[in-house]
Amino acid sequence: MALNVDRPCGTFDRNYYQAMEIFRTPLRKFLMVAFIVVMYVFAFILDDYLLSILIVFCAFSVGMTGLQIITGYAGQISLGHAAFMGVGMYTVAIFQEHLGFNFWMALPLAGLIPMLIGMLFGIPAVRIKGLYLAFASLAAHFVIVYTINNWRSVTNGTDGMYLHRPAPLLGIDFLIDQYYYILVLTVTIVMIYFAKNLTRTKLGRAFVAVRDNDIAAEVMGINIAHTKVLAFGIGCFYAGIAGAIGGGYYEYVNVEWFTLTDSIWYLGFLVVGGLGSIFGAIAGAVVWKTLDELSTLMTPLAEALLGGMAFYASAAFSLVIYSLIVIVVLVLEPRGINHRWQIIKRSYRLHPFPY
Amino acid sequence: MAVDIRNVAKKREQRYSYGLTLLRESIEKDRDLPTEDEIFKKVILKAEDITISFGGLNALSDVTLELREGELLAIIGPNGAGKTTLLNVISGFYRAQKGEVYFQDQKITHFSSHRIAAMGICRTFQNIALYTGLSVIDNIIAGRHPHINYNFLNGMLYFPWARREEARQRQIAEDIVDFLEMEQVRNTTVGMLSYGLRKRAELGRALALEPRILLLDEPMAGMNLDEKEDIARFIIDIHEFLRIPIVMIEHDMGVVMDIADRIVVLDFGVKIGDGLPEEIGKDPKVVSAYLGATGERVAWKIS
Amino acid sequence: MEDFLKSIMLGLASGGIYALVAVSYVIIYKATRIFAFSQAGMLVIGSYTLWQCLIVWSLPIWLSILISLAIGAVIALIIERTCMRPLIGQPILAPIVVTLGVMLLFRGIALLFWHGEVRGYGGSFLPLGAWEIGFLSLPKIQVYGFAICMIVIALLISFYKYTRTGLGMRVVHEDHLVAQNLGINVKRIFKYSWIFSCSVAVIGGMLLGNIQGVGLDLDANGLVAIAAVLFGGLESFGGAVIAGLAIGVIQIFAIQYLGALLPGEITMLVPFVFLLLILLIKPYGLFGLVRIERL
Repeated sequence: MALNVDRPCGTFDRNYYQAMEIFRTPLRKFLMVAFIVVMYVFAFILDDYLLSILIVFCAFSVGMTGLQIITGYAGQISLGHAAFMGVGMYTVAIFQEHLGFNFWMALPLAGLIPMLIGMLFGIPAVRIKGLYLAFASLAAHFVIVYTINNWRSVTNGTDGMYLHRPAPLLGIDFLIDQYYYILVLTVTIVMIYFAKNLTRTKLGRAFVAVRDNDIAAEVMGINIAHTKVLAFGIGCFYAGIAGAIGGGYYEYVNVEWFTLTDSIWYLGFLVVGGLGSIFGAIAGAVVWKTLDELSTLMTPLAEALLGGMAFYASAAFSLVIYSLIVIVVLVLEPRGINHRWQIIKRSYRLHPFPY
Repeated sequence: MAVDIRNVAKKREQRYSYGLTLLRESIEKDRDLPTEDEIFKKVILKAEDITISFGGLNALSDVTLELREGELLAIIGPNGAGKTTLLNVISGFYRAQKGEVYFQDQKITHFSSHRIAAMGICRTFQNIALYTGLSVIDNIIAGRHPHINYNFLNGMLYFPWARREEARQRQIAEDIVDFLEMEQVRNTTVGMLSYGLRKRAELGRALALEPRILLLDEPMAGMNLDEKEDIARFIIDIHEFLRIPIVMIEHDMGVVMDIADRIVVLDFGVKIGDGLPEEIGKDPKVVSAYLGATGERVAWKIS
Repeated sequence: MEDFLKSIMLGLASGGIYALVAVSYVIIYKATRIFAFSQAGMLVIGSYTLWQCLIVWSLPIWLSILISLAIGAVIALIIERTCMRPLIGQPILAPIVVTLGVMLLFRGIALLFWHGEVRGYGGSFLPLGAWEIGFLSLPKIQVYGFAICMIVIALLISFYKYTRTGLGMRVVHEDHLVAQNLGINVKRIFKYSWIFSCSVAVIGGMLLGNIQGVGLDLDANGLVAIAAVLFGGLESFGGAVIAGLAIGVIQIFAIQYLGALLPGEITMLVPFVFLLLILLIKPYGLFGLVRIERL
């Protein structure tokens, strides 16, 4: 009889609400609250550089969570995730520039518009079984990039656009990075909480059903085309929100930030983090952006060593090293960091009797 | 000596008190269980002149099938006779080239399969088709998909009513788990379960859909005697307590003869027999096609 | 009329190469059911290795081509052995993401060794000049390139059709387990498939480098070929050829006649809009296999 070791010993559910909780033990609840508190406290003790890293972590965690919903839960591949993130950024910029929206009004739109566009592109692909969404999203990438590049009157073409952080609210000036970080962190926590709720309720189960056995899902009363489109739409919603909060930090957006390469890294590091769990998504985003930060730190070193070659070298190194990391992790641990972490937890709980 | 019917019924309620009662309540909320008058009389599912061919090969030709309320219908026939294909046509997975399927006098031939499932035609599969990444209990709750009454936004925001609904669904699912005697493995990922348990989990998932009709595709294939008896017990319990008409494909003639109310025999996509178990066992056409040239052994079994 | 014929000719010339690259996707898809995005990166590697041999090391052309093909085969072996084989039996997502990673790895390697500059083969390894037929002038590069593409594809198809290994490949395409049970070495078939596919991609890279110049952007052609693969049906050589040619022609026509209406560069837009249309109208492609699902 297979033992259930996903929970620590001695945890029993006394009612169904307890069985449905995210954090089952008091220790875990405490750790989670402590973690969130520490994240908020960071706003006041870290300098702007470290905060900028944390903001990037947050934004990409949201984006990665969206991709997790598409790929890890619904089992579809999206090769246009970076582009949809860009759509989110541009949505904020366009609505601020042309229609005079403020950040708060533009933020939901930054989710909804990528969602609509994503669903539009998803519709042709989801009627078929298989990974056709990969091709549709690839097409979406090129169409989006083309549109942004050439619809100059609205998007300013290749010159990029400026967007503005929210106006001061209750005396909190979001132009100061630490307050903006608090905003970003709050949005991130809320979005991740929503994603967690999504995955443990009706639609989340439908996603997994479609991923694991789409034929059975169809015959068991789940509309798979509908479910897949919704998964893609929600994933793009997350990408858009991630773009909006990330773009708000830089207060500028340029179409060159969203390349196919970024979309591939999104996918690659998602798998590195681990498919099918929110923790895996966050882990993937953090690993990716930490590497990004490291390669930026290495650039001066490379310049000192290589001189004029440094430009190629740093670009090439990030490509080579990232792809090697993705490939090696996948080959050695195809289920990602999260899976390894589960194994560690499990063996700790079972110690000293590993059977 | 008169039997106190109420007492028998009460005993029966007690017998099922460890499972299925909640599911029955949930079903009774939507519709009335069939009355004694309707049983064996009212036709609930009718497949008329179904013809389907794959690349010129006739898998089914002009097969007609009628299922009445409260009936346990067994479909038998040699391998490749088109039994599973017939179920696939009924559940909307294959489109029949000719013929219609009626469910409660409604034509459902061209409905998509998820809609047919939501209407209450639920099934299990010959080759197990569970959601391998989910635990047993989640598989069963996933089966309740069409009966969960909140949209995804409510789920995402986890409003109190969504939470209550989730708890209610979980309660029903636990009820089914209790009934199927899978308590110890309820939180185990189904990919890690043994074959027999997986088959059982699949039955549970089909039950979770609150079936109006249950289609079972070889529920006992590849099982040992104990497991077979368990499954047979479950099927009879479901049939009696929820009064669900069941269509069952099964090769084990002993079981079929024991529990089926009526038997349909298919051979090479043609219906060659339809009748009570005793009649089928004696029908020379059926005996020669399926039970063997002489049919001695089966005749022996039936007697 | 003259423009029309010219466009068709140009389209066929670039379409020939799309067809070749599409075939290189199809080879791997047929054997392993994996869509190997890495073949787009292989084009870049192929074109740069030829440039390295031909220009930097000043080797004769036949030797350069042989070396490039050999390098392509070795890379194929390495990918198959180190990346793909450990992932057999894993969820299909893992190998696909690995091929995407390999595609970027190739890009990184090309950037590292050759700095991503656009190079040329110092003229061309195919004869220059043009044939004049009436008002049409056929550049010899394009004609020879087209001929090479078609010859390579024809050789491949006849290999699949007439040799024992080719038969094995077709069996593997039907079902891995059945093939294994029939005594076919499925792993060896995977290996051969990767080697063939990468060699074909290297040839494609050389031809593209000859026409467009050697550079990192050649992998865009590989992405365009994806549209061709989908149009032809994921598992059909004939479909890939017809679809590749069609995509080439459609692309040239669109640039010719729609280019004036739409702003900016539409070279990449056209194939992908077309891809969406295919998904909408004929999702399994022209000759794709619609499998009957079983329950």
